[in-house]
Amino acid sequence: MKHGINRRGFLAASGALAGGLAFVGPTVLRAQEGGTLRFALSTYPPSFDAWTSSGTAAGTIKLLMHRTLVSYDPDGMMRGELAESWEVDESGAWIFKLRDATWHDGTPVTAEDIAWNVTEAQKPDSAAYLQGQLALITSVETPDDKTVRMVTAEPLAVLPGWFAHYNMPMIKKGEPRDTMIGAGPFKMGERDRGVSLSLTANPDYYKEGLPKLAGIEAIVYADENLRVAALDAGDVDLIEYVPWQSMAGVEENPDLNLITRDGPFMYLTFNATRAPFDNPLVRRAVAHAIKREDIVAAAFFDRGGVLAHLPIAEQSEFFNPEFKDAWNYDPDKAKELLTEAGYPDGFECTMLSTAQYGMHQSTAEVCQAYLSMIGINVQLDLPEWSSRVQKGNEGSYDLAVMGTTAANNDPDGLSNILDGSLPASFVRSYGMETPEITEAFARGRAEFDPAARKEIYRALEEAAINTVPMVGLAWRSQGYAMKNNVTGFSNLPGQLTFYSGITLEETMLG
Amino acid sequence: MLRYIAYRCVVALFLVWVVVTSVFLLLHLIPGDPAELLLSQGSIAADPAAVEALRERMGLNEPLWQQYLDHLGGVLTGDLGASFRDGAPVIEQIATRLPRTLEVIVAAALIATSIGVPLGTYAAIHANSFADNVISFFASAALSTPVFVVGTVVILIFAQQLRILPAGGFVPFSEDPLGHIQLLLLPAGTVALSLLAVITRMSRASVLEVLQRDYVRTARAKGIVRKRILRRHVVRNALIPVLTILGLEMGTLIGGTVLVEFVFNWPGLSGYLVAAVDARDYPEVVGIVMTISILFVFLNLVIDVINAALDPRISLVRR
Repeated sequence: MKHGINRRGFLAASGALAGGLAFVGPTVLRAQEGGTLRFALSTYPPSFDAWTSSGTAAGTIKLLMHRTLVSYDPDGMMRGELAESWEVDESGAWIFKLRDATWHDGTPVTAEDIAWNVTEAQKPDSAAYLQGQLALITSVETPDDKTVRMVTAEPLAVLPGWFAHYNMPMIKKGEPRDTMIGAGPFKMGERDRGVSLSLTANPDYYKEGLPKLAGIEAIVYADENLRVAALDAGDVDLIEYVPWQSMAGVEENPDLNLITRDGPFMYLTFNATRAPFDNPLVRRAVAHAIKREDIVAAAFFDRGGVLAHLPIAEQSEFFNPEFKDAWNYDPDKAKELLTEAGYPDGFECTMLSTAQYGMHQSTAEVCQAYLSMIGINVQLDLPEWSSRVQKGNEGSYDLAVMGTTAANNDPDGLSNILDGSLPASFVRSYGMETPEITEAFARGRAEFDPAARKEIYRALEEAAINTVPMVGLAWRSQGYAMKNNVTGFSNLPGQLTFYSGITLEETMLG
Repeated sequence: MLRYIAYRCVVALFLVWVVVTSVFLLLHLIPGDPAELLLSQGSIAADPAAVEALRERMGLNEPLWQQYLDHLGGVLTGDLGASFRDGAPVIEQIATRLPRTLEVIVAAALIATSIGVPLGTYAAIHANSFADNVISFFASAALSTPVFVVGTVVILIFAQQLRILPAGGFVPFSEDPLGHIQLLLLPAGTVALSLLAVITRMSRASVLEVLQRDYVRTARAKGIVRKRILRRHVVRNALIPVLTILGLEMGTLIGGTVLVEFVFNWPGLSGYLVAAVDARDYPEVVGIVMTISILFVFLNLVIDVINAALDPRISLVRR
């Protein structure tokens, strides 16, 4: 009995199919699709909730769909968005004057919409990223359709910065929080959960002539090496989170362009509820014991910089040159401090980090090596990220490695990391009381005079250098890479690097 | 026979229940709070009040037995719940993702069988020859090279050097059939490589064994042409154990293509599972693991039944 196809026939047919496919070539995938930028994201946004923090990839997508009241230009200077102008009135309240803008459904953006966003996000159970800050706004008034007046118990200089954050975009009144209806330059099109997102230009965007692209195809490439390979192979035009080990290769490639910014940083936190890290002398000893160049080399392939003070960048107007090397590498001083604290022979302790991210683990390993040189024997605890977060929140550690960015380039953005009066969190030291620092942050927020603010934050840094609520270790380079024909995209300076998606409205494919 | 099948079905159901229960319990035992994680994205500090509110909304504040009963009730009515992260129904996600994983596995199985069986047969016929040694060497090498190494190397060669295939990704077949097949080639080829090694070795062993059988000697004594003996008597009989192994390997692959899916950015079920575990998205994890285990148990059941049909000695229930 004969069946349709024999072995030889099958082999011939499959060979012909494979050969045929090889000849067809990848032209279809590689062709330029008329002004659609293909952007490789590092992860699919876990949520589209406008006001909660769902990571930087979600932040970028929100910056495409939505607009905030104010934002930053490519140099990091504040500029208007939905708000045309903003100022403090004589009573200390902030007044935002709105421009003519429309939501994606064609209805106008009104003062009432803005007020609704604020009152919803400030509710205690809103889970909004800025809920704690917005709660300081005691009332929101809408004298007319284009004016929003925000009243606070005391004047707050930092308030406009909150309304520049990508986790505080404005959505239309009454819409669900994960609405796709925004006032941004792009409209959400098709979504394939976990895979890709298609966005098309909003023809009614309030900025004349923008966006320049007809659309953006955001495709998720979770593997960092594949992200670089996809850019190299021409499958995508722009990638975020360029891995440090690939930066040199991207720079050498004449077809590609790499833009990096030192913004995010690595640091150590302490459990201050128990010995020995309840003692500031021991914490200072740790700060002087670690040679940070080795962290930059081991964890970031020399793509970053030494950080031996508070994470205030040298370019910032709040940078204090006198503290540049305040926590310099000085093993002798570290030993002296340990002896003074009553630990001449050192001690044993655990250091929490995570094996899930190479940079966290490498940083921990370098710290472990240097701490052993002054007699502190560190046992590493490297669970995966979720467990690390939980252990950090519960204070199940002596010493921990962390990495993050501040909310913006204003030193007030560091309160999240330094202010011990805030609830327990894995991003700051556990159970650390910092009355001086808490008070300085409060004064800084209420001060409008730039010179006086600078002095407040100088004193704050001085206090931090002595009491060591955290130890700065290294700046890390945050990079975007793109093909040479991509123009107009900027990597925003310093802590604003994750706001860079805002410049996609000006991005072009040459 | 019917009693045997019924008995196997009851065992299968019991196994699925055991898996669902253990996954549920294990997930709640390991540290990591989904609400806390969801609100700490991007290494920011989550407000404890917000975490508490979210836990309440997710139903995580109910006693564990209550959560378990709710979950079991959901499973029985075909409702696997919704994702903690964005409320997407889990069953819909599985329905989109599962076919993509199956597609890679089936394509890989086709490639592996069409090459592995002839190769193994050739090696068996020429046992201990130079060609046999070369084939065995490559089979061992392919078996011991991890998929992420193979994956990275093929991306380097085909996407970055030769530039004839995309580095990875996915487009639905309905949108772009050609692009879809191009994107499928590398992941399927990578999975096929390790499968190919198993099938080649299995075919070789199996053909060698059949070649020793009396009926082959008889056929040869009758003067039947060698080719005909091979095709009619040897390969056909040798294929039975090869297909059994292939079935089992495919079952393992349903949950085991994680690395391939990751390396090639292929949005299948395994990659979905890893993302769900990372986020401690309980409904998603339980739903996916349950689907995989049901498929695996079902596949085994089918193999058992086929074996029983082929060999009446296996139906032991009546003993």
